[in-house]
Formats: sequence, C-alpha cells, structure tokens
Amino acid sequence: MRWWDTRSLRARIFIAFSVLILAVLLATLGLTQLIVGRDTGRTLSRELRTTGQVFQSLLRERAIRLQTNSTLLASDFALKRVFATHFDPSSYDSETLASAGLSYRQRIGVQLVWMTDEKGTLLAASPGEGRIGQTLAGFSPLKDALQSQAPATAVVEVDNELFQMVAVPVLGPDVIGFLMLGQVIDDHVAERLKQDTHSDVTFLTDSGVLASSWPESTRNDPQLIRMLPEVRQQNPRLLNMSGERYLSLALPVVANLEMPLYVLIQGSYDRALAPLHTLQRRIAIIGMIALAGALVTGIILAGGITGPVRLLVNAMHEIPRGNLRHRLRIERNDEIGFLSRSFNEMAAGLEEREHIKDTFGRFVSRDVAEAVLSGRVPLAGERREVSILFQDIRGFTALSERLDPVVLLRLLNQFFTEVVAAVEAEGGVVKQFTGDGVMALFGAPQSRADHTERAVRAALGIVTRLASLNVLLQNNGAAPLQIGVGIHTGEVVAGLIGPDERIEYGVVGEAVNLASRIESLTKELTATILVSREIAARLGSEFVLGRTALLPVKGTSRPVEVVEVLSGPLPAP
Amino acid sequence: MIFSARVYAAAPAVAGSVSGTDGAPVNDAVVFVQSPVPEPDKSPPMQVVDQVNKTFVPGLLPIVVGTAVRFPNHDQIHHHVYSFSPTKTFELPLYKGEAAAPVVFDKVGAVKIGCNIHDWMSGIILVLPSRHFAVTDSSGHFALNDLPAGTYTLVAWHALSKLKPEETAQSVQVGAEVANVNFKLPLTPARPRAAMHGTRAEP
Repeated sequence: MRWWDTRSLRARIFIAFSVLILAVLLATLGLTQLIVGRDTGRTLSRELRTTGQVFQSLLRERAIRLQTNSTLLASDFALKRVFATHFDPSSYDSETLASAGLSYRQRIGVQLVWMTDEKGTLLAASPGEGRIGQTLAGFSPLKDALQSQAPATAVVEVDNELFQMVAVPVLGPDVIGFLMLGQVIDDHVAERLKQDTHSDVTFLTDSGVLASSWPESTRNDPQLIRMLPEVRQQNPRLLNMSGERYLSLALPVVANLEMPLYVLIQGSYDRALAPLHTLQRRIAIIGMIALAGALVTGIILAGGITGPVRLLVNAMHEIPRGNLRHRLRIERNDEIGFLSRSFNEMAAGLEEREHIKDTFGRFVSRDVAEAVLSGRVPLAGERREVSILFQDIRGFTALSERLDPVVLLRLLNQFFTEVVAAVEAEGGVVKQFTGDGVMALFGAPQSRADHTERAVRAALGIVTRLASLNVLLQNNGAAPLQIGVGIHTGEVVAGLIGPDERIEYGVVGEAVNLASRIESLTKELTATILVSREIAARLGSEFVLGRTALLPVKGTSRPVEVVEVLSGPLPAP
Repeated sequence: MIFSARVYAAAPAVAGSVSGTDGAPVNDAVVFVQSPVPEPDKSPPMQVVDQVNKTFVPGLLPIVVGTAVRFPNHDQIHHHVYSFSPTKTFELPLYKGEAAAPVVFDKVGAVKIGCNIHDWMSGIILVLPSRHFAVTDSSGHFALNDLPAGTYTLVAWHALSKLKPEETAQSVQVGAEVANVNFKLPLTPARPRAAMHGTRAEP
C-alpha cells in the first residue's frame, strides 16, 4: 500500500487500467479454456462413441450382407449338387468343390470360403487347405449354425487375422452341408472407419493388435496393449500417442476369440483443442490490442486529469513564492475546472488583500492594515475610547531654515524611524505625520485595555530614543533636537474615512483636538511630556509625575488640567 | 390313411406301438420287416407324390423297393423336384402337371426329396425291402398284416429318430396269436421350415 501511495496519479491510472484489462483477459482465457476444453472433451467423447456405434452397425451391416450373399450362394443348385456328392465317397468331387469356393471368393469379394459337410467336417477351404478333413463343429459361427440349422455369424481369428464370418446351411432339402464365408477385418477396414469418422481405430486383444489405422511404428508400441486395461472401462481416457494426446475409448466387440476383442477408438484431443487454441490466441491478440488501447486511453485520460492537476500544483507553488498574479486557464466544467476556478478566485482574493495591505501599510501600520483586513475593525465606524499622542519638534521652523534640505530630511527620517519604533513597541499606531511631528493612536484599531499607559510609555520611549539621537547629532556638531509630547484619552469615532481611492483608517472627536492642544501647551510649560488629568489618573505609581497646571485651551471654554510626566518604568527594549 | 384302413381290414399278425423316450406316441413312424426279406413283388403298383399348394403330398411315402413313383404337379407354378440322397439321386427339372416321368426307386433306403425353387418343400420316400411295413397313427399304433408264421426281425424308422433302423431291431414270432411289439425311439426335436404361400408373403 505504501508503494501504491507513493505512485503518481498517472502511474496509478495506468496500473489500474492494465490490471483490470489483464484480469479480464486472463479471466476470459481461463473461462474459455475451462468451458471450451470441457466441451471439446465431451464432444470428442461423443464422437468416439458415435464411431463405436458406426463400427458396430458396420459390423452388423457386413454380417447381414455376408449372410444374404451366403444364403444366395448356398441356394445355388449346382453348388448343392456338388455338395451332395460327399454323401457318396465314390462320386465325391472335392476338386470341383474347392474351385467353386475359389470362384465364390471372387464372385462376392470375400476373403474366405469354407465348406463343410452337414456335421461340420471341412470339405473345401480357400484359404486354409491344410485344415480340410478337420471338424469345425466347435468353431463359431459353425457351432451355432449346427445347433440352429440356420445362418450364424461371428468375429473370429484365423491365422492371426480377424474375420467376420458367417455359416449358412446348404439345404438339399435337409441340411447337406454348410457354406462359410469370411470377410477380413484388417487395416483397410480400420482405415475406412478412420476416413469416415476421423478417429483412429485399432482392433486388439490383450495379446496383440490385430488391425489398426495406426502406422506400423505406432501400433507396435507396446503401450497400446499396456493401456488397454486403462481404457476398457467404457469411459474415454487421455493417452499419449507419440507426443500427441488422444482421447481413447475401448469398446468390447462380440467375438469368438480366446481373449476378449476390443475396438480401440482414438481421437486427437490436441487437434480437437486446436480451434480453442486459435481462439485463445485471437483473444490474447485482441486483449493485447485492448491493453495497448487502454494504455493509450489511460495516457490521454491520465494526461487529462493529471495535466491540469500538475498545472494546479505548479500554480499552488507560485503562491508561497509571492506570485499572486498567477492564474490558471483551464476551461472545464468538471471538478478540475471547479478547482482551477477556485484557485483563480483564491489567488485573486489573496492578491487583492495583499494589494489592500500594501496600500494600507503605506498609511497605517501593518497592525492597522491587518486588523482592518482581518475584519476585526468594523469599517462602518464605532465609538471607542482611545489614547491620542501628539508629538512635535520644537523650533523646527528655525531648524529647517538653518539646515540643508537633504540633511534635514535625513534627520527627520531618522527621527521618525525612532518615533515609529517607539510607538509600535507599545502597540500603538502612527496615524499621521505632520511634517515635524506625528500623531499616534493607542487602543485602535486594536483594542487595548491599557492604552493610556502604553501611550505614556511610548512617549517616554520617544524621549529616550531622542536622547540617543541627540548624542549622535551632537557628535556631528549639530544642535540637539527638543520635542514636546501631549497625550489625552477620550471617546472617539473610529473607522475608515475618505473617498474610495483614498480611504484610510482614522479617528475623529474632541479628544483628538484636545490631545493636540495639550501638546502645544508643552512649549508654554517648557515640559517634554504633558498628559491630561484623565491620563494621569490612570497611571500607576511607577510613573513619576511632575507639575500640574490648569490651563485654558483654545477652542474650549473650560481650562484643562495637565500633568507633566517625568519618567516611568523602563520602556520595552 | 389308406394304411390304417388296411390295418383294421383283417386280423393283424403283429401289432404294437412306437413311442418316444418320454413315452409320447410317435406318429408317422414306419415299422417294417428287415429280415428275412421275402421275394420282392414283381410289379408293385405305381405310387404318387403329389405337389399341392407347394407341399409334397404325402410328406412321407413308404414304398417297396422297385416301385415307380409319379410326381404330378397340381400347382399353377413350376416345380423342380430333386433328391441328393445316395439311395436315389434324381432331378425332375422345372415342369407342370404330369410332364415328369415316373421315377423307379430300386434301392432300399430313405430318399429325401426337395424342390429347387421352394426351399421349404421337403418330403421323404422311404424305400423298403418288402411290402411288410406299417405306419403309426396319431396314437403311435401300428399293425402288420399278412405275415406268414415265422420269426421276423422288425425295425422302426422315423424321420427324426436318432437311431438307425437296424439299431431298433426286435425279433418277433408270428403265429396264430397277434404278436405284440413296442418300439421306443429317441427323437431329435422337429425343426419345421417355414413355408411361404402366396407371392407377397414375407419370410
């Protein structure tokens, strides 16, 4: 599974397709083998049995024909007359009888003609002259014919040859002898059966093969006899005949032999399976074509899926690199299309936010920007209590006249960098640069419970940082800078202010004006940091406060109580 | 039948019966005097074996040696009567009606006759040494008449008998009283050959 999990989607699609098709292919081949193979076996068995039946009916037909021919021959009056001569030894005409036998062999195309007297003694034989005078009374089919005085047939062996033989009585009008005709069952018969039935046919007993359609080399194979016990059950068996498998069926033949006679019928199993193998080869070829087609389809399909996925992945990689302008151009209505549209929307959203953050950041601190963008600041505006810090460089006008503009701006930027650092160190936000001063907010946009203390600490921080700057200035022969800081707290309205293109976060309210006024009071009192009574009231004991004054403020009827802050806890480093 | 009429016409010299080994009466057995053979008749009357409805009538004809037998054909078809028996081999090729000449049977013995055209037609002419013979009736009885007093050897013959006639020989004293002689013959089972009557008959 681990291996599988580490494969690419494309590889998995390939593998899945290939495995599926191979499985279908193998299942098809296996099923074909199973079904057709079994069917072939059955068909072949049926054919063998049919051949067996054909053989049996052939034997019957031959017997009937033989019997008919024999009966007709036996009715020949001339033959009867010659036969009858044996009753009288003086007139017995054995030579005529023998030549008649020879003539009959030719006349009806049989291979054996024997004639006996009415008791079964052989009178004439063709072939087998040597047997003349012997009694055949115990020899089938004569034995049966003697008993029934009627025609009888049998399969017998004469001089190692198999004969189908018939014995018919010669009537004159009683039985005056028997005519026996034999038709050989030899290789030709087996061959003819083979031509008709496409099965190899062998006639054999346990002691040997009597006739066969097999060539000499195969039929003399001793295994043909050896396997007889195996196949003589009436069920076909598979036998290996010179490298080829043959379904073999042995059927008993009713015969009058010393050993039971069998006809062994064999059909090539391998040849019968040849169409199956052709079929399987074709299925395999079609399967391979299908597999190749599936692979191509897989490649195209996988390309269709993984191509866009790879584009998506590449696009995803662009995001952490900061490339938010990257867009996908995948016009599809499926999941991939949905995914790429989502990506485009996501990238567009990110880009927009970044754009806003960038634009914002130029005017507000990142804190403000993030607070606004994260939605923590209700943009519609809200009332909240904040501390407002105003800072100003004293005697800046004179300074600006004295100093080179380039040097002045460098000085200012250096100073403001310190101021911003001091404000942000306390979580405040530099809201405005006023040329020689700044306005900073504490408690907005991020709400802070201790915004008053933070503002005062920031002011102290500005003063401290200014001291370091002044040392630097003095070392460079410049006059040290002096500043004034005024802080007030009160409720203001906070939110986004301005037309769309120039919108910015800001606060408005009386407290802002008052804070600015308090700052301007520092000149009068020659104090560095002045805070309103509201601020001072909230400062802890660690802050060292100085003078207190109740001063009239421009724009208000009531005088304002201000408190000088001298020092406080060490500012955050 | 004509013999049975003769049997009861006069008092028999010898009477008896022929039965099988199982005791059953044997019909159509011929009992005749084997010895001493009296002088044969100078001119025994001519006998007839008719052919009626493709059958020899009678099927068994005992005759005295030297008897001439006519073979008239009363069927509408030809017959071809023959015999291969060594006793009398003859042939009356295809003929109808009275066309065939009579055949004289001049040797003692059984003559089996057949028809070359009709395999089932079969008959026996039993040629006997003298006119002293009798044929058993359906109850197996026979009677020999007109035998002068003396000692005779009697034998029995039957178409199916397993014994040769001489093997059945019995000596009998013929005198004033009726001598009684009984024969027992072992018979082979009869094997009738099916006849075919009518042209469309099947075997």
